[in-house]
Amino acid sequence: MTSREKVRRALNHEAGPVPVDFGSTGLTGLHVSCVAALRDHYGLPPHPEKVWEPFQMLGEVEDDLAAALGSDCVGAMGRGTMFGFANEGWREWKTPWGQVVLVPADFRTREAENGDVFIFPQGDTSVPASGHMPAKGYFFDAVVRQEPIDEDNLNPADNCEEFTVMTAEEITHWRETFARMQGENRAIVSGIGGTGFGDIALVPAAFLKHPKGIRDIAEWYMVLLEDPDYVHQIFDYQSKVALQNLETFAAIAGDAIDVITICGTDFGTQTSQFCSVQTFNDLYAPYYRRINDWIHEHTTWRTFKHSCGAVRPLIDSFLAAGFDILNPVQCSATGMDPNELKAEFGDRVVFWGGGVDTQKTLPFGSPAAVRTEVLERLKAFSPGGGFVFNTIHNTQARTPVENIVAMVDTVREFNHAGA
Amino acid sequence: MPQLADLTAAVAAGNRKDTARLTQELLDAGVEPQVIVEKGLVPGMSIIGEKFAANEIFVPEMLIAARSMKGALALLEPLLADAGVKPEHTVVIGTVQGDLHDIGKNLIAMMWKGAGFEVIDLGTNVPAEKFLAAAQEHNASVVGLSSLLTTTMPAMREVVKVLREAGLTKTKIVVGGAPITPTFATEIGADGYAADAGSAVAVARELMGITA
Repeated sequence: MTSREKVRRALNHEAGPVPVDFGSTGLTGLHVSCVAALRDHYGLPPHPEKVWEPFQMLGEVEDDLAAALGSDCVGAMGRGTMFGFANEGWREWKTPWGQVVLVPADFRTREAENGDVFIFPQGDTSVPASGHMPAKGYFFDAVVRQEPIDEDNLNPADNCEEFTVMTAEEITHWRETFARMQGENRAIVSGIGGTGFGDIALVPAAFLKHPKGIRDIAEWYMVLLEDPDYVHQIFDYQSKVALQNLETFAAIAGDAIDVITICGTDFGTQTSQFCSVQTFNDLYAPYYRRINDWIHEHTTWRTFKHSCGAVRPLIDSFLAAGFDILNPVQCSATGMDPNELKAEFGDRVVFWGGGVDTQKTLPFGSPAAVRTEVLERLKAFSPGGGFVFNTIHNTQARTPVENIVAMVDTVREFNHAGA
Repeated sequence: MPQLADLTAAVAAGNRKDTARLTQELLDAGVEPQVIVEKGLVPGMSIIGEKFAANEIFVPEMLIAARSMKGALALLEPLLADAGVKPEHTVVIGTVQGDLHDIGKNLIAMMWKGAGFEVIDLGTNVPAEKFLAAAQEHNASVVGLSSLLTTTMPAMREVVKVLREAGLTKTKIVVGGAPITPTFATEIGADGYAADAGSAVAVARELMGITA
């Protein structure tokens, strides 16, 4: 059985070996420091790792490492990055923690006296920085650049600058990407951006030089309640552009891909939700429905929804909005017990994640504790398919490599025992 | 004459304009600023905290209510300062070094302010020494430490160590943030753990010995 067949069985809720994803998306990846540690552990040729996702500083999982980890999925990545520059023209850069990595040519930074690192949108150092990595940090956070808000004269178009039709360069990128991936026997996961509504990570628009509209995080949360019409107008415009781009993308990708990531909007906190079920259904669901319905009508792709946190009260609404896959299945959040989730939703949703806690067990536990938890999760989520193993969100910096290896070995042994 | 209960309801509803208007009307009617805070605003934020803890409202509603309260305090604080009225308890809060996340920290700060404490907000990416200096300068009853990242949890341990070594006997330390657990709080020697903004006030009050 090929990796792709394993994933497809799981997506079809058929019993079989548990497929694994390490690194196919910016939500299921590994910090570049972990990638280096894993390459070293498995004795793979050393070289500076590519930071393919510069915001979270995720490292590329190359084919040799993917094979060592047993990953069944591969990403067809877009051309652009969170900071608005293209992933091209690779050059070396030394990180604040002393690792030499490869970054794109336009990954332009400035170091402050205290060691903080600032990065610039579209590589333009003449405008204010849009990302900030503290001296003792391991990834960037967006710098909020909020112009004064005139509440009586809000213009939804100001919050739509980032939603644009695919450029000729992007179309060429996708053509080349899928030509290169022909014959790939792993499941291909892709995404075109612009299909997630109200993703708080994207609201500050670290990719724009001079973002307008509402870009402050607290202001955004407040406008959701205070001026839903403003938000509806943004989402309406965004969804129309997204549908146009999906049509272009589908003509290129065809059935080459298995899964498309739609949305990274977090609706959950550690103990609660960011909005009521009613607000989700009224404000977000109609636009997700547009996107997911189009995909299901025109392609064979499965739609992937990421939301951290305690989202159990919202899962029925996610499904009604047309999502097929839920990630990262944060079992450490309130109400997210793996056995209960499987019993309640297991026949209707594919759990992509939930494999091990990245807040506690993986970074701070022992390899034995990792093994125990991974085995518990495999037993909970794998019966009858509908499960792709992944850590709960990206594997974070400072995670001991022996813990990651314990996780990988446990999944492999579980599948071997079940074969 | 406007009633304090009307102000409480306006704050709890997050009605910024009504909150400011009622505050001004109460002042104009001769109600003491301190009474407006204690009997009007604090109960309003208390309702918000309870509803948040019960999952009846969410982060946006809290932010809107806190903004209303802030508008009222902008009118009241200069008057309180002129009258020499100072809150009994001062709390210091910040996100630990290496961590730039502040939504959770800001919500706790708002709830503490809404409970009538003087809040010294040090912002994000705060080194241990800065927490110590602020705690000493303000004779803080509570220092609140926030962290969203697993990679910055060790910085929290460092702050606790620095505060303990300085021998601040009066100051209690409360920790919180998505990856933080009561076990971790105990392990690093903190005095309290706040699971969310809804419970942070109760935790602080208990540590301060406030029973009412």
